[in-house]
Amino acid sequence: MTDAKKLQGDKLSEAAAIERAKQGDAEAFQLLYNLHKRRVYSLCLRMTANTAEAEDLTQEAFLQLFRKIATFRGESAFSTWLHRMAVNVVLMQLRKKSLPVVPLDEPLESEEEAPKKELGSQDPVLAGSIDRLQLQRAVDALPPGYRRIFVLHDVEGYEHNEIAAMVGCSIGNSKSQLHKARMKLRESLRTSRAEKATKPW
Amino acid sequence: MNCREFQEILPEAFGGGRTAEQEEHLKSCPMCSGLLADLDLVAREARQLRELAEPSPRVWNSIEIELRREGVIHEPLRGPTLVPPISRPWNLGTWLAPVAALALVAFGIGVYQRGSSAPQSPPQLTATAPAPVSSLQAGKNPPNTDDQQLLAAVASRSPAMRAQYASNLQSVNAYIRDAEESAQADPNDEEAQQIVMDAYEQRAAVYEMALDRSLP
Repeated sequence: MTDAKKLQGDKLSEAAAIERAKQGDAEAFQLLYNLHKRRVYSLCLRMTANTAEAEDLTQEAFLQLFRKIATFRGESAFSTWLHRMAVNVVLMQLRKKSLPVVPLDEPLESEEEAPKKELGSQDPVLAGSIDRLQLQRAVDALPPGYRRIFVLHDVEGYEHNEIAAMVGCSIGNSKSQLHKARMKLRESLRTSRAEKATKPW
Repeated sequence: MNCREFQEILPEAFGGGRTAEQEEHLKSCPMCSGLLADLDLVAREARQLRELAEPSPRVWNSIEIELRREGVIHEPLRGPTLVPPISRPWNLGTWLAPVAALALVAFGIGVYQRGSSAPQSPPQLTATAPAPVSSLQAGKNPPNTDDQQLLAAVASRSPAMRAQYASNLQSVNAYIRDAEESAQADPNDEEAQQIVMDAYEQRAAVYEMALDRSLP
């Protein structure tokens, strides 16, 4: 079966599951959960860098969605609706914990945490692909504010205007934080590569 | 333009829309072009993190338990419904559908009673002495002809079961009467019309269950 046909088949089964879920069908709910659990959980995990918290937020996002499924009219993609709800659940939880979202004007981190400038640097550039595990660790190590913007934009694909509305910052601030996040990741990945290259094994 | 100036505008100009001066610097400066390439690579590779992890089974277990507790997940009605989905638009044809189904069920009961051998009729039941219908009557409104036939059809069941069917019929008939009164009071009230449909659906379900359990 081609990818396009499989995708079409998945869409049909999702649509059927949504209608059955509106009737209270347990199997339909589970099908919808299995179709989207990885995406939602990965989002929560990247945003919180904590597995237990990510599972709790995943559970809450799906519960909120399933309680409202009767109101879903299919005007937008189900995955979009679910994903937006998951993002809102995560952001709300992070606000409750009083983690800094994105300060409008103040620097988010100390001078030590700020990414280094490249002026006059002769350091080697990244080349080829990036190791997924290293990238995951590097993202988890980002300051929370940087991580949030990076995950929403580069991982999940939201635009800056959407991020600004969700997080409560300006578009310019979102772009600035994203740039700093990428710079930090580049620095972290280059360091990892350099360390790996110097190891005898 | 120097490197400092270029890197200061990079957050805004990363995705494109750079001026000619900025593009010129990019072409002539291996460090800034290398930086841009690295940042682009990080952005592109980030997508592989999108569906990396899977939650433990306890997440779904917790979701299912909560949804059942709230009644969001519930067992479906036994057998196919006789009434089209609520989401579909209602017209005279669909209004008559449950009434027609009810008439068919009543016809089936009549066939049972006469022991007809017509090919489309349901199989004959073993002849048993039906329980007196009067013993099952209660309340102000005795069952109508169809209800009497239904009660006769379940006569072979236990006394407790016959009494339960009689009670169910009385409840659903009272429901229908109340719903029809409300609908007649305001013919434009769509909700009242819907309640009438629901009431007939419940009545049809009672008939279905009775017939289904009476079949050999």
